Amino acid sequence: MKKRGNFLFVEKNNDTYTISMTPELQDDVGTIGFVDFILEDHFNTGDPILNLEASKTVLEMSTPLAGKVVERNEVLTTEPSLLNSAKPEENWVIKLTDVDESEFNNLEDA
Amino acid sequence: MNQHEQLDYLIDYLLNEQSDNKIFFNDYKQETLEDKFELFRGLCNVRAPQPISEDFLKIHDDFLTHWNQDRTLVSLEDLPAIQDQLYLWQGDITRLNVDAIVNAANSRLLGCTQANHTCIDNIIHTRAGVELRLACEEIIQTQGRKEPVGKAKITKAYNLPANYVIHTVGPYIDQRGLSPLKEHLLHSSYRSVLELAEEHQLKSIAFCCISTGEFNFPNQRAAEIAIKTVQDYLTETKSTMKVMFNVFKDKDLAIYQSILEQKE
Repeated sequence: MKKRGNFLFVEKNNDTYTISMTPELQDDVGTIGFVDFILEDHFNTGDPILNLEASKTVLEMSTPLAGKVVERNEVLTTEPSLLNSAKPEENWVIKLTDVDESEFNNLEDA
Repeated sequence: MNQHEQLDYLIDYLLNEQSDNKIFFNDYKQETLEDKFELFRGLCNVRAPQPISEDFLKIHDDFLTHWNQDRTLVSLEDLPAIQDQLYLWQGDITRLNVDAIVNAANSRLLGCTQANHTCIDNIIHTRAGVELRLACEEIIQTQGRKEPVGKAKITKAYNLPANYVIHTVGPYIDQRGLSPLKEHLLHSSYRSVLELAEEHQLKSIAFCCISTGEFNFPNQRAAEIAIKTVQDYLTETKSTMKVMFNVFKDKDLAIYQSILEQKE
């Protein structure tokens, strides 16, 4: 199941929630040239998760859900423009677990 | 030293310091005080954030303090509130004697680097003095990356009548126009500034029309977002901060008046 929050997609697979780029966000920021992960193990809703510098803007991305980080898309650090990809397996940012399901259910449908 | 002598000294120092730039300033006249101020301003605008001598700063601060205070300064006490805690005033933001003024910065945060450009970032940095760019450079160095849109940073206001400058980078609107993200980011700029001001226990703050100048945000929509964000913040947090909307253009004055004078 896929939802939207804070201008990002959140896709739920069992207990894992993957946060990724929306096409609208990709259009708004332009080509991404630099990313810097916030290296925390746990995020509260609205916490910054990543800073990016792109052709059209400099943006601090914040998480639409609270949860524990299980994986980061580390390859973005060397290939930030993967965030401009249309493929969900390339344009994801982090995967969370320990997410409150009702918080996810309250997000807007994608 | 009188003001002419002070400016001559400052100009001479800056020209020697940046000899590569000298040629760009050949056409500047140096007859009246205003001519000299424009040359001084241009030289400060293009100056890289590097250390500067104590002797220079002493004369520079003395000159700017007087240059700024020789104008009629404006305090909230001089103005009628347009709504509870809210004020509207048209004019040069650098004349405001409030706790903090808000600067519409860009992501480099270093102030406008175009000599004598007429944007707000330029006039705030010019009249605050060269210390402001140095302070902003330190923030960026510490942060290790550019300043994101919709956040806020605070510095002293140096030679301005205000005590602090709060810097925020608003969203830039290109030919594709507004988007929900850009509207959200403008809201976020106002909100971040208010929260930072509260954290520093400021009593009064003056916002410029963030993003509406060089950044092309449509004026009407920008004013709606600005006013709503401030009103919601004050209601929600019960803050006692006094907030001024500082406008420069007649168009913005009319827009703010029409929104703020509506009966609730």
